[in-house]
Amino acid sequence: MVRSLFFLGTAVGLAATPLAAQAPVEFEQYTLSNGLRVILAPDPAASVVTVNVWYNVGSRNERPGRSGFAHLFEHMMFQGSANVDKGEHMQLVERAGGNMNGSTNTDRTNYFETLPPNRLNLGLWLEADRMRSLAITDDNFENQRETVKEERRLRVDNQPYAPAFTEGLTLPYDSTTCFPYSHTVIGSMDDLNAARTADVQEFFDLYYAPSNATLTVVGDFDPVETKALIEQYFGDVPAAEEPSPVECEVAYGDLGGRTVMPDQHANLPAVLIAFLIPEHDHADTPALTLLGTILGQGESSRLNRALVRDAQSALQALAFVDSRRGPGQFIAGAIANQGVGYDTLETQLWAEIGTVVAEGVTEAELEKAKNSYRADQIYGRQTTMGMAETLQHFAHFHDTIEDINSELGRYMAVTLDDVRRVAGAYLVPGNAHTVIAQPAEAGAAGEEGADR
Amino acid sequence: MRPTTRTPMCAGLAAAAVVAAVLGATVQPLSAQYPSDPPPAGPVKALPFPDVQEAELSNGARLLLIEDHDLPVVSLRLSMRAGQRDDPLGREGLAAMTSELLTKGTASRTAEEIAEAIEGVGGSLSAGAGADFFQVFSTVLSDDVELAFELMSDVLLRSTYPEDELELVRTQALSVLQLQKSDPGALASQAFMRGLYGDHPYGRRQTEESAKAITRDDVQNWADTHLRPQGALLTIAGDLTLEQATSFASRYFGEWGGAAPRVEYAPPPAEEPTEIVLVHRPGSAQSNIIVGNRATRPIGDGTYYAADVANKILGGGTDARLFMILREERGWTYGAYSGLPTRLDGGYFQATAEVRTPVTDSALVEMMHQIRRMQTEPVPDSTMAAAKGYLVGSYPLSIETPQQIASRVANAVLFGRGIDFVRTYGQQVDAVAASEVMNAAKLVFKPDSAVVVVVGDGQEVYDALSVIAPVRIIDVEGEPLAVEDLTPKAAALVLDPAQIVARRDSFQIVAQGNPIGTQVTEMVLDGGALTVRETTNIAMAGMLQESEAVLTIDPLAMQSVDQTMTFRGQTGETHLSFADGRVTGTATTPQPTGQFEAKEIDATLLEGVVDQNVMAVIVPALALAEGASFTLNTFDASEGTTTPLTVAVAGVEEVTVPAGTFSAFRVEIAGGQQPVTMFVSQETPRRVVKIAPTGQPIAIELVQ
Repeated sequence: MVRSLFFLGTAVGLAATPLAAQAPVEFEQYTLSNGLRVILAPDPAASVVTVNVWYNVGSRNERPGRSGFAHLFEHMMFQGSANVDKGEHMQLVERAGGNMNGSTNTDRTNYFETLPPNRLNLGLWLEADRMRSLAITDDNFENQRETVKEERRLRVDNQPYAPAFTEGLTLPYDSTTCFPYSHTVIGSMDDLNAARTADVQEFFDLYYAPSNATLTVVGDFDPVETKALIEQYFGDVPAAEEPSPVECEVAYGDLGGRTVMPDQHANLPAVLIAFLIPEHDHADTPALTLLGTILGQGESSRLNRALVRDAQSALQALAFVDSRRGPGQFIAGAIANQGVGYDTLETQLWAEIGTVVAEGVTEAELEKAKNSYRADQIYGRQTTMGMAETLQHFAHFHDTIEDINSELGRYMAVTLDDVRRVAGAYLVPGNAHTVIAQPAEAGAAGEEGADR
Repeated sequence: MRPTTRTPMCAGLAAAAVVAAVLGATVQPLSAQYPSDPPPAGPVKALPFPDVQEAELSNGARLLLIEDHDLPVVSLRLSMRAGQRDDPLGREGLAAMTSELLTKGTASRTAEEIAEAIEGVGGSLSAGAGADFFQVFSTVLSDDVELAFELMSDVLLRSTYPEDELELVRTQALSVLQLQKSDPGALASQAFMRGLYGDHPYGRRQTEESAKAITRDDVQNWADTHLRPQGALLTIAGDLTLEQATSFASRYFGEWGGAAPRVEYAPPPAEEPTEIVLVHRPGSAQSNIIVGNRATRPIGDGTYYAADVANKILGGGTDARLFMILREERGWTYGAYSGLPTRLDGGYFQATAEVRTPVTDSALVEMMHQIRRMQTEPVPDSTMAAAKGYLVGSYPLSIETPQQIASRVANAVLFGRGIDFVRTYGQQVDAVAASEVMNAAKLVFKPDSAVVVVVGDGQEVYDALSVIAPVRIIDVEGEPLAVEDLTPKAAALVLDPAQIVARRDSFQIVAQGNPIGTQVTEMVLDGGALTVRETTNIAMAGMLQESEAVLTIDPLAMQSVDQTMTFRGQTGETHLSFADGRVTGTATTPQPTGQFEAKEIDATLLEGVVDQNVMAVIVPALALAEGASFTLNTFDASEGTTTPLTVAVAGVEEVTVPAGTFSAFRVEIAGGQQPVTMFVSQETPRRVVKIAPTGQPIAIELVQ
């Protein structure tokens, strides 16, 4: 049977949390005079090379009335520049035997190409050309606005549980104190409709300057030649002023809300409980991440054993940490089996969470979560793309990129007391917002669906 | 195209950059070196095909090893010749359920012990049944490789398929079937495979009946019969030597033996002229389109490679015609692709797109046109070069990890193409001529005898599709529908007259807690006729709307709607008359673009249809109770169509608004452009106390 991927498929913007394996990661970093940060990690054994650019902008940088801009902009970046025609970016990369893409989440926007080593120059040049001279025209903009609206219809409006996972997970944030996370990455149709070409130009000038970007190259390449190429292609792109910092104030423990979202496309109710947790680069993140694994990752996790196997109330149950550069979320959730109402799921989720808060976890569970974490770090480094994203993660989510070689140690040092303490500090009803996806058609399930 | 160049801004980060930019304007020391053409490819680095080590096992299985000690990781994949293809009639899904149960208990381990063992070392163990092959996978760090062999062997040779685990898998299978009915992609794929393969196992899918029929004996017998090593393939990638691999394999799989029987099936249905299967999914925001046909492509005469080039040009990526035209030129879709999946009993061709509803027919016509173009128009040299550039040039990307190499090699061997297929693929593709691509396209694309599936709102797309080809309509359960079934049925709505009284309600409109406007609703009763007047004023947004609707209560029937609206300097008027089975009139209303557009309205009037303007009067008069749910057909003047809305009572809540605190029904209204929550006081006569669009920071609250 194909395991349902609805949950994972719609969970947008999960920050990767990759880190130190056994051998230390070797890399070199420097900054061009225009502020472009460069990270190089040569690996002569690789069959390919990855060029990966992160711009320090995500939906958290958007202003009210302009939601969806960061993501709309990601589409504009494939619409041509001074020396690259519309659509030619993809063509040039494909014809060189490479692949490429870009993605936007709350905290960053990334662009990347993986290429045969002899085409590294193409990847660098393509990134440089659009950084220095993006083609911002009315036609391009209108066309991509329509594409983005279609993407919204495909990914949000037409998919079961997507509203709960997008709109729903903005609800723990108060729009008056944290607009950055109180709106979705994809944005509202109204804001997309209201966007004007001049807004796009302004956004580009502010956020797509070299001084707001980090270029990472990983794989089979010669560092000396590559540095010269980078200087030649990127060295004279002008810097810009620094964008204003992102403000997000949250009050831990001041939540307790509950929202029922009718879901026209869902046939089974689902429950998501979202707890506010601190920013990624916080001392509690390792313990929270391991707790997420223990509670809701894998068949032997607590939620899977309790809800899916023992009570047989859930089709799927999981927990994970949605770690962000600002306050993030710890999410526990489940999709009901047929004939089970959301109240039942909610009660059972709280019972499992309550047990962890009251009693902590076992030594064996913690050991298992640490092994799993360690293995995932190694698996994540099997490709040049995985390694490039790992380096970028540390460059943006941590104070120093050097953390890449000490992070595993922080996870291995987590104690049973740490896990119990973070559970008690964050996984409490007053620090949660519960989101319920309720099938909009009557009779599918959820007869017990009275609000409390 | 009019590219704009970045204007230098304050170089706050580095003064040097300002200097460089100023110099750049006159001397251009750096920008002179910046190339205005894509830099040329450097010399290709010779990349020999990685060594594939082989061994025959005494039980008849074959072992392939891609040895790589870069990272301490080992992946195992054991592929057996059995799958969905071997599901007995009436037991569809048996292979898949067997694969689920395989890791759920052995003679010496419970399901939980298996999961604890593998997850405890950060590894994975899973089984899956595809169309033709049943595969067991495991990935572990190399310290734990023996555990992976031991667990794989335990589940394959000593699985007990416990009864209670079967019940759990069955419950989940039934839930997944429910989920699939809400997944347009799954609905499209099911209808498409059914159309291609009919009663051949490839065309059959698990149903509620077959999921309920499968017994533990079925599972045990199927596994005993089909999970056999003769002809199976054990592919290993990563940090292991051949000596270690064969030693583990003989230790853990030495006692396994036997061969699986091979069932032959009657050929799939003969090809028929192209027909469109329309899967009616009311309210669908998009249409999922699949066009395709069964397609075999012999490898000996080179058709296989020429067909790959043809598919690459048509829809094999973002550089292909379908993507460039449907997405980049027209903006109709987020993606459009084609593919040529392989099957042991004959593969197929498919082209897919998910498009917005109004362009469904245009997109289908364009897809068919592009398919025919491959058969009739010679492919230009530049296009040939581009396609080959990817198919040949992406070789380094396809062998980046030992797992990728193992996967390519295993697939080539399982489908009878041999390891040499992977070694020589680039050369073979390079040798394909444009004329061979056209010939291959004629052989593998069959637009005149294609299976076309559209999953979408039948009411919106039927008429336009029926012009393209004959249309057969089914519902999401697969049951046939008639054209009349697409129109929403009039629902017998019973209103409680006690809830409808003459009164005047004042509301405030708040955004993020701040009042931004007002709304006044007045109801006047005159005999059996009810007149509803509403004035909405949001001064800061330049919006003023006044409407007057007249209707009778028993029987419920709209009579007229008159509305004027001013919004940011634009003005619109709507005048509708509901009589003699039709809605007629004119409507100038704001469209999603923000512009006002005038429309002539002349639409069928169904019994029980109400205008969207009177929802706030109708909803409180329904038989509201916890758990109750209603379908309300509403007329939307801006669209000129009738839309069935779902009105469901989600519970009772205390709601505080300026008019006081009310015990109120929480009523969720879905199915329209914007889901809305309406709170209706419980006390008779009921009143609307609050209206809030889902996910928007706006609400309308009762003041007095």
